[in-house]
Amino acid sequence: MTLTVESLKTTDTHCPYCALQCGITLDPSPGAEAREPVLLSGRDFETNRGALCRKGYSAGNLLNHPERISTPLRRRTDGGFDPVSWEDALDEIAQQATRIRTQHGADAVAVFGAGGLTNEKAYQLGKFARLALGTSRIDYNGRFCMSSAAAAGNRAFGLDRGLPFPLADLDNASMILLLGSNVAETMPPFVRHLRNARDCGGLVVVDPRRSLTAELCAEGSGWHLQPTPGTDLELLLGLAHVLLSENLIDEDYLSTRTLGLASLRASVNPWWPERVATITGVPASEIRRTARALAAAASEAKTGGGPVYILTGRGVEQHANGTDTTTAAINIALLLGLPGTLGGGFGTITGQGNGQGGREHGQKSDQLPGYRKITDPSHRAHVAKVWGIDPEIIPGPGIPATELLHTLGTADGAKMLLVHGSNPALSSPDASKVIAGLRRLDFLVVCDFFLSETAAEADLVLPVLQWAEEEGTMTNLEGRVLRRRAALRPPAGARSELWILTELAKRLDAPGSFSADAREVFEELRLASAGGLADYSGIDWDDLDQGAAIYWPCPSSKTLNHTPGKRSGTPRLFLDGFAYPDALARLIPLYPGTSRPALHAPGKLALVTGRLLEHYQSGTQTRRVAELNAAAPEARLEIHPGTARAHGIRDGQRVAVRNERGEVVARATLSTAVRLDTVFLPFHFAGEQNANLLTDSTVDPISAMPEFKNASVSLHPLGDES
Amino acid sequence: MTQHHKLERILIIGFGPVAASLIEGLLPGLEAGLFSLDVISAEQHAAYNRVLLAEVASGATTAEHLAMIDPLRLLAAGVGLHLGASVTRVDRSRRQVHLGSGQTLGYERLIFATGARPVVPTLNGLDFSPHAEANLPAGVMALRTLEDAMALNRVLNSGGRVLILGGGILGIEAALAMAEAGHRPVLVHHGHAPLGRSVDSDGGILLARSLRAAGVEVISGVRATAVRRDADGFSALVTEDHGEITGDALLLSCGVRARTELAAGCGLKVGRGIKTNEHLVADTENRVFALGDCAEVAGAAPSGLLAPGWAQAGWLADFLLTHRAPAPDLATTALDPASAAPLVERTNVLMLKGQSLELVVAGNVMAGPWDEGQERVSVFADPQAGRYLKLVTEHDVLTGFLAIGLPRTGAEMVLAFERGTVLPEDRSALLRLDDPAAPDSLVVPSADDQLCRCSGATHGQVAHAVTDGCTTVAEVGAACRAGTGCGGCRETIEAMLRVSIPV
Repeated sequence: MTLTVESLKTTDTHCPYCALQCGITLDPSPGAEAREPVLLSGRDFETNRGALCRKGYSAGNLLNHPERISTPLRRRTDGGFDPVSWEDALDEIAQQATRIRTQHGADAVAVFGAGGLTNEKAYQLGKFARLALGTSRIDYNGRFCMSSAAAAGNRAFGLDRGLPFPLADLDNASMILLLGSNVAETMPPFVRHLRNARDCGGLVVVDPRRSLTAELCAEGSGWHLQPTPGTDLELLLGLAHVLLSENLIDEDYLSTRTLGLASLRASVNPWWPERVATITGVPASEIRRTARALAAAASEAKTGGGPVYILTGRGVEQHANGTDTTTAAINIALLLGLPGTLGGGFGTITGQGNGQGGREHGQKSDQLPGYRKITDPSHRAHVAKVWGIDPEIIPGPGIPATELLHTLGTADGAKMLLVHGSNPALSSPDASKVIAGLRRLDFLVVCDFFLSETAAEADLVLPVLQWAEEEGTMTNLEGRVLRRRAALRPPAGARSELWILTELAKRLDAPGSFSADAREVFEELRLASAGGLADYSGIDWDDLDQGAAIYWPCPSSKTLNHTPGKRSGTPRLFLDGFAYPDALARLIPLYPGTSRPALHAPGKLALVTGRLLEHYQSGTQTRRVAELNAAAPEARLEIHPGTARAHGIRDGQRVAVRNERGEVVARATLSTAVRLDTVFLPFHFAGEQNANLLTDSTVDPISAMPEFKNASVSLHPLGDES
Repeated sequence: MTQHHKLERILIIGFGPVAASLIEGLLPGLEAGLFSLDVISAEQHAAYNRVLLAEVASGATTAEHLAMIDPLRLLAAGVGLHLGASVTRVDRSRRQVHLGSGQTLGYERLIFATGARPVVPTLNGLDFSPHAEANLPAGVMALRTLEDAMALNRVLNSGGRVLILGGGILGIEAALAMAEAGHRPVLVHHGHAPLGRSVDSDGGILLARSLRAAGVEVISGVRATAVRRDADGFSALVTEDHGEITGDALLLSCGVRARTELAAGCGLKVGRGIKTNEHLVADTENRVFALGDCAEVAGAAPSGLLAPGWAQAGWLADFLLTHRAPAPDLATTALDPASAAPLVERTNVLMLKGQSLELVVAGNVMAGPWDEGQERVSVFADPQAGRYLKLVTEHDVLTGFLAIGLPRTGAEMVLAFERGTVLPEDRSALLRLDDPAAPDSLVVPSADDQLCRCSGATHGQVAHAVTDGCTTVAEVGAACRAGTGCGGCRETIEAMLRVSIPV
C-alpha cells in the first residue's frame, strides 16, 4: 500500500495506544526508503514529558502496513473474503438490519463499541444505536476495563473521573499505594511520575506478581505486598481495620466531608490483621506497617509534606467483586482524609486511549451522553431535545457486555452485531463462548483496519481510518480533553466511522441528524453533555487546537486559559465538595461473601492474566509490528520454579493450561516473581494461546465486570513437538 | 392462620461473632423474601469481637472497635432482634421457643449458636460448677465479655500485677497485649512450655524465650491448687511447687466449655458440644442445627477458635439459602454427603495475635525429622534470630507446620495447609519468602541483552552510543532511545557514561 506522504506536514498529536495519550510529533519521513510514512517523536506534553515506550515509537509502522484492509470485504461461502464496493456494503448492512429488526424486533440488532474510539465516534455510535437501529443493546469493551472503578467512584463520590487531579500532581507525592497496576509495562512514561514517592521510600505496590512495577519498590524505594489472587478486598479491609482500631483516621475530615463512618466501622472490625494474613498470605506485620505508613504520610501531607495517593488498576478491579474492592480502596483514602484536598487523593488508572471519554458519552448500555442515565426522565428529555426527537423514541437500558456477547444468536440474544474498534473474540471472558456466539449470528459487521480475530468471523469487514488520518478529541486518564489530528491522507479505500454511521443512518431513515465531520459532532456532543456530570459544553475546539489544558467538567460559564502551563475547566475535582447534593462522600460498608468457591483445590493453581510492555490489548495492532512481535512473539506461562518442578515442567517446555472452559498451550518461563500458587499468562495472543479461553465470565453484581484475574486451572506438561 | 405461616421462619439462638456471620450470610434470603429471621441474645449488646477483648483491656483499642455487625442495618433489613432475652425452653414438637419474658417464638428451622463459657478450674476458692454462668470473686475474671475487659482494664491502669492462668493461645495473646501496652503480665501455666499441646518442644522453648523477650514473665510447670483472697479481692495463686504467686488480678484462660443445657433440655444429643452430623444437623428432621463453639460436629470437639465457626457459618448460610425447610409430615430426604460443612481440622489454624511475636501453627507438628514413618519433616532453627520453621508433610502436602519469626512463610503456609497445596520439593524455597527479593541478575550482560525494556535498546547499542561520543543520558536517548521510556535504566546508562569518560 502507498500513502500520500506529500500531504504530511509537521503535526502535534497523541500516541494511538493507552490512556496516557503521550504527546507526539509527526514529521515527514526523511527518505523514500523509510519503512514508515512518518517520523514519530516524543513531545514535551505533561503526561510523558517527551518520553515514549516501544509501542508508541513504532506506531507509525501500522499506517502503511501490508496487512491493512483497503476495501470493504464480503465473506464468501467458503470462508474467504471478496472485495465489495462501499455502496453495496452499506446497502447490505441497512437491508440486513431492517430485515432482522422486522423479523425479531429492534433489540435483535446489537452494537459493540470501544474505549479506543474518539469522543465523537463514541457519541455518534451511541446515538446511532438508539435512533437509527432503535436498539437498547449497545455496550463496549470498557465494560471489561473501567466499569468496576467507575461504579465505585460514582457510588463514593457521586462522579467518576479516573484521576480527579492532574497526573503531574503525583510528581510531589511522598507516598503512593498502587494496587493491581503494572504501569512499568503498560504505560512506561507513567513511572517518571513515581520518582519522588520512590525517593521518599513511599511506593507500595500490591500485586500477586513481583511485576516490573513491583520491582520499582526495591532498594528502599518502598515495599511490595504479594497477596494470593482474589483476596485484595480482604487485604484492604485489613488496612482499614488498622486505621480504625489504632485511631489513625482524620476525624475532622470524616465528620465534615463524609457519611457512613459508623456502619463502616462495624463492617471493618472483623478484619484484624492476623485474620487477613491467613486469607491473603500477606503478613500481619506488613499490613500494620502499610496502614501506619499511610497514616503518617497523610498526616504530614496536611502540614506541608508531599501528598499521598491511592491508585487502582485492573488487577484489583477485574474481579467479580471489583466494585467492592475499589470501594475498599476509596474507603481507605477517605479514612485518611485525602480525596478532595491538596494532600492527595484516590484515582483509578484508566487503560484504553479514550477509556475515559469512551465511558461518558453513551456507549454504555445504561447511559446517555454527558454521563447521563438512560433511566432518568429528565436526562432523556435533555438529550432528546438536543437530538430533536421525542424522548419516547430512546430505548431503555440494554444489557452489559458479557451477557450481550454470550447470548449472541440465542433465542433472546441479538441476531446481528456491529463491532467498532474492539476484538471481543480475544478480549472477552470465556472467549470460546463468544466465538461460538459470533458464529451463531445472522450477520456480523466489523469495522477495523486489520483482519482481527473478530473481523475474521465477520460477514462484512469495513476498513476504517487510523489515528494519524483522523480528526477528533480524546479524553485522557486525567479527564483532560485532547485533540487527535490528521497528519496523512487516508488510503483510498478506507472511510471514517463517522461517515459510515452517517451513511447507514440515511439508509435506515433515522430520525435526528448525523455528521461525518468530527468538529460538527463535537459541537453537538458539547450541547448533549451540558449540565451532565461529564459536562463538555464549555470546551472550545479552537482552544484545544491551541493546546489549552482543559479538564471536564467544563460548563460554558468557565473561562478558559491559554497560557502555557495553565489549566482550565476542573483540573482538580471535589475541592469544594463531592458530587452529591449534600457535597459529602459516602463511606460504603463492605461484606465479602462468607464462602468462596474452591479455587485452590489440590492440584489447581490460580491463573492471573495481564499485559506485556510490547503489546496493547488484543494485539491486533502490536502483533503486526515486526519489532514488537520479535521481542514478544508468543504467550509465555510464568510459573514459579518450585511449582514447575512439582508438575515436571522445565523452562521453555510447552504446557497445556486447562480448566472446564478450555485449554491454552504456551511455553513455560520459570520465575520466582510469581507466587507458588499462581501462574500468569498475557492475554494479547490468539488461537491456542488466547488466555481468555480460560477466564471466568462470572460478573460483578454492580458493574458487570467479569472475573478476569482469578481462574482455577491445572497444568499438563506436553512433549517438545512443534 | 395457615396463610400467616407460609413464610418460613428461621430462628437463631445466640448472637456472638459466629451468629453474626451467619446472619450476614442470610440477609440476601431475607431481602428476597425466602424467610423471616429472628435472633435471640442473652446479652444487651449486638455481636462483638471477643478476639480483641485483650486489646480493650490493655487500652490498645476501645470498645467501639469490637462491634461485629451494625444492629441498625439488621433492623432495617427486617431481622427480629431479641436482645437481653433468655430462653427458658425449646419445644421441638410444637416448634416453639419460650422466652423468659413469657413470649414464644415459632420456627421452621432453629439454629443453636449458643457458644461457650469459660472453664473455671478446680481451685479452692472458686465456684467451678460446669453449667452455671461463672460467679467469680473480685479480682478473678475470664476475658469473655466487655465487662470482663473493663474490669481488667481498671486493674492494669492502677498499675496492678496480672496473673494469667493458662498457656493456651488466648492466654498468650492476652499476656502479649498487656506487655505491648507496657504492663508486666505473668503467664502461669501447667506444661513445660506455653502452647504445649500444639507446638513441639523446640518451638515451645523458643516461644517461652520470645515471650520473655516481649516482656511477659512466664512461669511453667505450675500446679495451682487455690486462690488466696484479701480484703481487696484476689491476692495470690496458691501452687503445689511454686509457692504462692502474688498478684492483683487473676485472668482465667483455661479453655471454654460448650453451652449445651438448652439443647440437652429439648432432647438433643450432647457430648463435648451439641452433637451434629457433618451437615451441622442436630436432629433427625434436618430442622435443628448447631455451629461454632457450642457444636460437636461429626465427632470433632469445638475448637474454641473463631475461624472454624466462621467457615461453618458461611457454609450454613449457603445451605439455608439453597434448601427450604422440610415439610412437617414428609419423610426427611438424605443430604448430599459431598456438600458437607468444612472440616474443623483444615480451619484449625493458630495464628498468634500480637505484634511483638509472630507465630503460626496448624495440624500436628510433634513428629521429629529423624522419626521413621510416612511423614517428611523439615526443620529450620535460628533461635538467636527468633526464627523457627517446621514443616510436616505427607506426599508433599502439609499435615502440620509451625513458623515462628517468619511472617511471610507463616502466612503462606496457612494457605497451603488449608488448601492442601503440594509444597515445592526444595523446602528451603519457602524460607526465602521472608527474604528481601535478591536481585536475579548478577550476571554480566552481553551486548544483545536488553538494557532498556521500554525502547528495546540493548547494552550493545548503548555502549555503541557512548563510544560514538554521547556524554549525557539525553544524548544516548537521542541516539538509540534507551532511557526515554520509564526512565528506570537511567542509572545504568549513567554508570556506562562514567566509565567511558576519563576523569
